[in-house]
Amino acid sequence: MTKNIRLGLGVLVGLLLLRNLYVILFNLPDEMEQGPIYRIFYYHLPAFFAAIVCYITALVASSLYLMKKNLRYDAIAMAATEVGLAFAAVNLITGMIWGRISWGIWWAWDARLTWALICWLVYFGYLMLRQAIDDPTERAKNSAVLSIFAFVSVAITYKAIEWWRTQHPGPVLSIRTGQQLIDPVMENMLYMNFLALATLAVLMVIIRLNQEEMQRQIDGLRRRAHAI
Amino acid sequence: MDDRNIQFMFWGLATAWGLLAIYVVMLAAREGRLRKQLESLKRMIEEKQ
Amino acid sequence: MVFLQIAAKDLRSELRTKESLNASLSFAVVILLLFSFAFDPSSEAVAEFSGGLLWLVFAFAGALILNRSFARELPNDCLEVLIASPVSGAQLFLGKTIASFVLLLIIEVICLPIFGIFYDITWLPQALPLLGIFALGTWGMTVLGTLFSALTVNLSLRELMLPMLLYPLMLPALMAAMRLTTILLAGNAIGGGDIVWLRLLIGFDIIFTALSLALVETILVR
Repeated sequence: MTKNIRLGLGVLVGLLLLRNLYVILFNLPDEMEQGPIYRIFYYHLPAFFAAIVCYITALVASSLYLMKKNLRYDAIAMAATEVGLAFAAVNLITGMIWGRISWGIWWAWDARLTWALICWLVYFGYLMLRQAIDDPTERAKNSAVLSIFAFVSVAITYKAIEWWRTQHPGPVLSIRTGQQLIDPVMENMLYMNFLALATLAVLMVIIRLNQEEMQRQIDGLRRRAHAI
Repeated sequence: MDDRNIQFMFWGLATAWGLLAIYVVMLAAREGRLRKQLESLKRMIEEKQ
Repeated sequence: MVFLQIAAKDLRSELRTKESLNASLSFAVVILLLFSFAFDPSSEAVAEFSGGLLWLVFAFAGALILNRSFARELPNDCLEVLIASPVSGAQLFLGKTIASFVLLLIIEVICLPIFGIFYDITWLPQALPLLGIFALGTWGMTVLGTLFSALTVNLSLRELMLPMLLYPLMLPALMAAMRLTTILLAGNAIGGGDIVWLRLLIGFDIIFTALSLALVETILVR
């Protein structure tokens, strides 16, 4: 049953991603000032939001774990963090490639970029910490606390373009700025690709959760095999 | 200049897809490894019983 | 006021053996020396990033001190006894934070004149505001570092994990402290647009102190 759901979701995401790619490449016009390179934004921005959604999920799941002590929440936090890191990597590297054309350098040390990188490192540290602890409840407890601390850096990253003067473009979406700064067609495309990437993220988290369940089964069987 | 612009756009989209693809491959590899472990453990326990 | 007793206990045992104090102080001096090879130490430009250099040294020395904070209690199962005792987790944490804070501040106060001599920086006229910035930045570092020290105390890779988790997360405080220290070392007063950095530093200290005190109980109880 769950296998069918996963398969269905996978096919859906695949089709949506391909459809979006087609529209982005062939149906949408070039941007006036930047030329074709602006198309990177259709992945750069949605990947950022997908990563933020993952980090928020990790924060909520970690807090729930500390309240309810249910290892299920811990598994959700871990899966969401890992998937979030994948999307954050897409965000960072597409941003670098865009920067090479628009700014002439791969990495401008401005607040937004730096904070996005810090976030990545912090959450990578979270996964490292998990690997270093063997006992499941100990691991769940300690990494949940770290996840709550780590979220502070996500909040700073989100606000960085307002707090510091940066060369990174400011917010463009009308839901955040309250103004229509970009063509509605382009904005809609951003939402469409966010939908695709977010669904992909959900699918990945489900798969990762299932693997965690398998890992627990394996650990249980190992213990039984030792007992025999 | 325009040449590089479109080239980098291509590379940008390719890395976006590529990175996600790498993560999917990592997921698939882990799935396979776990499945194999689970199978062999189950077989081992059956033999012992 | 149990936390003061905990702090006094930690300080007393540290001052008796001086193991982490000596180690991190000599480490700090070695790093100060190493920096002189990375750039021309006699150039005027040093003043422009002096705060950054100084805080890097403090961050390295701090990791050494903080590593010992909870690990000190591991032999003879002292940590288990402390946790089982009626002292609350928050008190224990606060005491240990204060102890590390004092130790690190001692190291910083010793390093500052050495730094001034090595790199020809005048710091005496700004000594008091500098001490204030040191205190604020060091508090942020120790509060977060002591929490992570508790988080990583049972790991075999503790010495590696602590700085790896600590440095990225304490960056807001580090950034602000570096900036403010540079301003002071250049002989200027903090004012105008630089108040933002002071506010960031104080805000960091308040937020992370509150968050740590709220969460430390869950870490210690097992």
